[in-house]
Amino acid sequence: MKSRPSTLAMVLAGGRVDELGVLTHYRPKSAVPFGGFARVIDFALSNLLHSGIERVAILSQYRSYSLINHIGTGASWDMVGRNRGISILPPFKGYSSPYWYRGSADAVYQNLDFIRHLSPSVLLILSGDHIYHMDYSQMIRCHHQWDADLTAAFVEVPLASASRFGVAEIADEEPHGGRLLGYEEKPENPRHTWASLTLFCFKPAVLMEVLTKNQDAASYEFGRDIIPMMMQQNYKVYGYTFRGYWGYTKTIDEYWQTSMDLLGPEPKIDMEAWGIRTNLHHRDIANRQPVRIGPQGTLSNSLAYDGCVIEGTVRNSILFPGVHVHSGAEINDSILFFDNIVHEGACLNRVVSDVDTVFSREAVVGTPAENGAAGSVTVIGSGNVVPEGIRIGSGCSVAPSLAVWPDEKNVQDGEVLQ
Amino acid sequence: MRDTGDALVLLLAGGIGSRLNLLVGHRAKPAVPFGGLYRIIDFSLSNVMNSGLTRVGVLTQYKPLSLMAHIGSGEAWDFTGRTRGVKILPPRTGEKDSDWYKGTADAIRQNIDFVENNPADQVVILSGDHIYRMDLDAMLAYHQHKKADITIGMMVVPKRDIHQFGAGIVDGDNRLVDWEEKPAIPKTNLASMGIYIFDTRYLLRTLAQNREEVDFGMDIIPRAITQDRVFAYPFYGYWRDVGTIQAYWEANMDILRPGSGIAPEEWEIRSNPEYGSRPMDRQAARFLSGCEVRSSMISAGCVIEGTVTDSVLSPGVWVRKGARVHNSVIFHDSVIEENAVVDLAICDKRVRVGEGAVLGHGDRLQVANRLFPKHLYTGISLIGKEASIPAHARIGRNCRVNLGFAGEDFNGSLELDDGESV
Repeated sequence: MKSRPSTLAMVLAGGRVDELGVLTHYRPKSAVPFGGFARVIDFALSNLLHSGIERVAILSQYRSYSLINHIGTGASWDMVGRNRGISILPPFKGYSSPYWYRGSADAVYQNLDFIRHLSPSVLLILSGDHIYHMDYSQMIRCHHQWDADLTAAFVEVPLASASRFGVAEIADEEPHGGRLLGYEEKPENPRHTWASLTLFCFKPAVLMEVLTKNQDAASYEFGRDIIPMMMQQNYKVYGYTFRGYWGYTKTIDEYWQTSMDLLGPEPKIDMEAWGIRTNLHHRDIANRQPVRIGPQGTLSNSLAYDGCVIEGTVRNSILFPGVHVHSGAEINDSILFFDNIVHEGACLNRVVSDVDTVFSREAVVGTPAENGAAGSVTVIGSGNVVPEGIRIGSGCSVAPSLAVWPDEKNVQDGEVLQ
Repeated sequence: MRDTGDALVLLLAGGIGSRLNLLVGHRAKPAVPFGGLYRIIDFSLSNVMNSGLTRVGVLTQYKPLSLMAHIGSGEAWDFTGRTRGVKILPPRTGEKDSDWYKGTADAIRQNIDFVENNPADQVVILSGDHIYRMDLDAMLAYHQHKKADITIGMMVVPKRDIHQFGAGIVDGDNRLVDWEEKPAIPKTNLASMGIYIFDTRYLLRTLAQNREEVDFGMDIIPRAITQDRVFAYPFYGYWRDVGTIQAYWEANMDILRPGSGIAPEEWEIRSNPEYGSRPMDRQAARFLSGCEVRSSMISAGCVIEGTVTDSVLSPGVWVRKGARVHNSVIFHDSVIEENAVVDLAICDKRVRVGEGAVLGHGDRLQVANRLFPKHLYTGISLIGKEASIPAHARIGRNCRVNLGFAGEDFNGSLELDDGESV
């Protein structure tokens, strides 16, 4: 008999990441659109669905509306039912907690009563910010086999970039990992290549114990504080080795690069095979007609979702629902969120454009590839009307609904308009 | 509260629509896919929703499972809530009436208890198999203003088409003074769209009067115009009865041409996104390097490696490298294998056109299908659900390949001549 779920998953989804800049003005990073119709958090939620985990809590504090709206009832991920559900846990003020969430570990600490109430036999804590496909049930099995206090998941990254992550030394890397021999958070000179996925299995009693101890500290992060403390105090900490694709989106350039992994004849990110689900009612995705391609429209190595109208030229790009590319417009290597309109003669190169932005006629954004090496990505905030005939260089950033555009029609590479 | 009150809607969705041939082999006509990701009935249901009406009964009869699954709880059209609702009304065997519906009026008569149990001043009766957009609230206001017993949605059609419809003549006040059902020699070009508003008390009275009157167009209206207040409500705009393969194909092609008058998204037509054999969401349509797509509608989940022109593709269609699709309507999850050619065809769900096969070969468009000369005669070939066309086969015009066909050839040959069926 399986009467009650034994696993509780807590998704850390509240963070605003400054490097994503204008894309996170109005939404947490986990609610950033990704993949032509979905949101970043859909990857974690779809993984939970396919792993058979039915009780989920989402810890959220930054600009929650977009996220709350997206999660809805949870029905999109089959999480509605007698013992199934998604609860959104915003910060609150109580007798004992006068604070906002002061960090990932503090966010969980402040909801210990929620955990006690559900009394799960294992607690899965994960980030809602990553692009990957994983069956958590296998990791949970290893966690039980090892009888670990904490099992943390790691993925191999190049040594050169390891300093940006929590890095571990793992005793038995094959087949699924083993005892953690060492752990350093963002080491300056990393000696190992296993980077933390911010994905943890905890014994609930141990978690309560270590989070309570951590309350006396000055910092409240799983990676920076909890894992090192548990290592030091000889808790049973294991590393689970994950060998699939892992995409992260901490900066605009990374967001762009990870998105490009959706393209090509054999994309590294296969949303179809991964069974990614989203909330089809968010931004009215369900009520869009099929992509309409006009007599002059062309698309090459691109994704376009229902509601798009393509009358111009689209190459190596990702178009979310409702993007309208007028004839004579050209879009290269770009990602356009919901309901962008690109008018005749406009040309976009390596642009990420947030929702509801209009590119007026003859606006040129980014550096066309034929002018030498492509520059870095230019990002345009939501709700803008990019003026007619303007030239915006590469690596620029434009704030949402920019009130006043500069008089000169030339925005230099790397400029920030706000 | 709407000024016009909360009228009850009855949607007639039981028709066989046999002229749609294989497309209605396992589903009712209103459940036939249309425009990529819609079904025909979505247009009527969305019109009801967009008109602010909230209580609907759907009269089913022929192969209703697909239709019932599609309607589901009605949530897609906002019909869930304390007082809202969409109810499926299957045919029932009563104490005396064991027959299936003998006509439109008979269908309503057999469900008269539903009308009595859902009190409303007016009853709106619609057909579930037309493609159009109409504000029924405005029609209700018109009906009330005219103090009509019956108001009928009517539009001007070409004279050569009038023989398919109920035809009426109106006076200067739009009151109907003459009526002919499907006239051979038309006196008018004003056609009934099969959209009726009845004053509820009048409807109950008139249906109780004479049980021999089984059809609105044939029996009730011709009598009513002589004694009661029957008005035409003029409609101007796009409206199609997609009851034939040719009309169905043309209406699909109309969506590809801006200015043709049909625009499902602009019309706020909704479908049920939850319904389907696949539990997962479709990903964005994928257009690979080297593909060529012009004047077409491509739904989510499609993968296009080859060429698609002037065609409507439902979700999940795969057009492989070197394959070419022209002037065609392809339903969900069909696969057009490498170097295959599809021209002027309608393929039902999960059809597979084998590598190098040609579907729609030659230019003898006028050779009608031998078994169904009245269904397939304009060149369109029809491929039934889950049929598999063998690799390198050559299929002509006006051909018909049955549901689930999986033969290695057609009676020993890889060629199927114009007008032939398997």
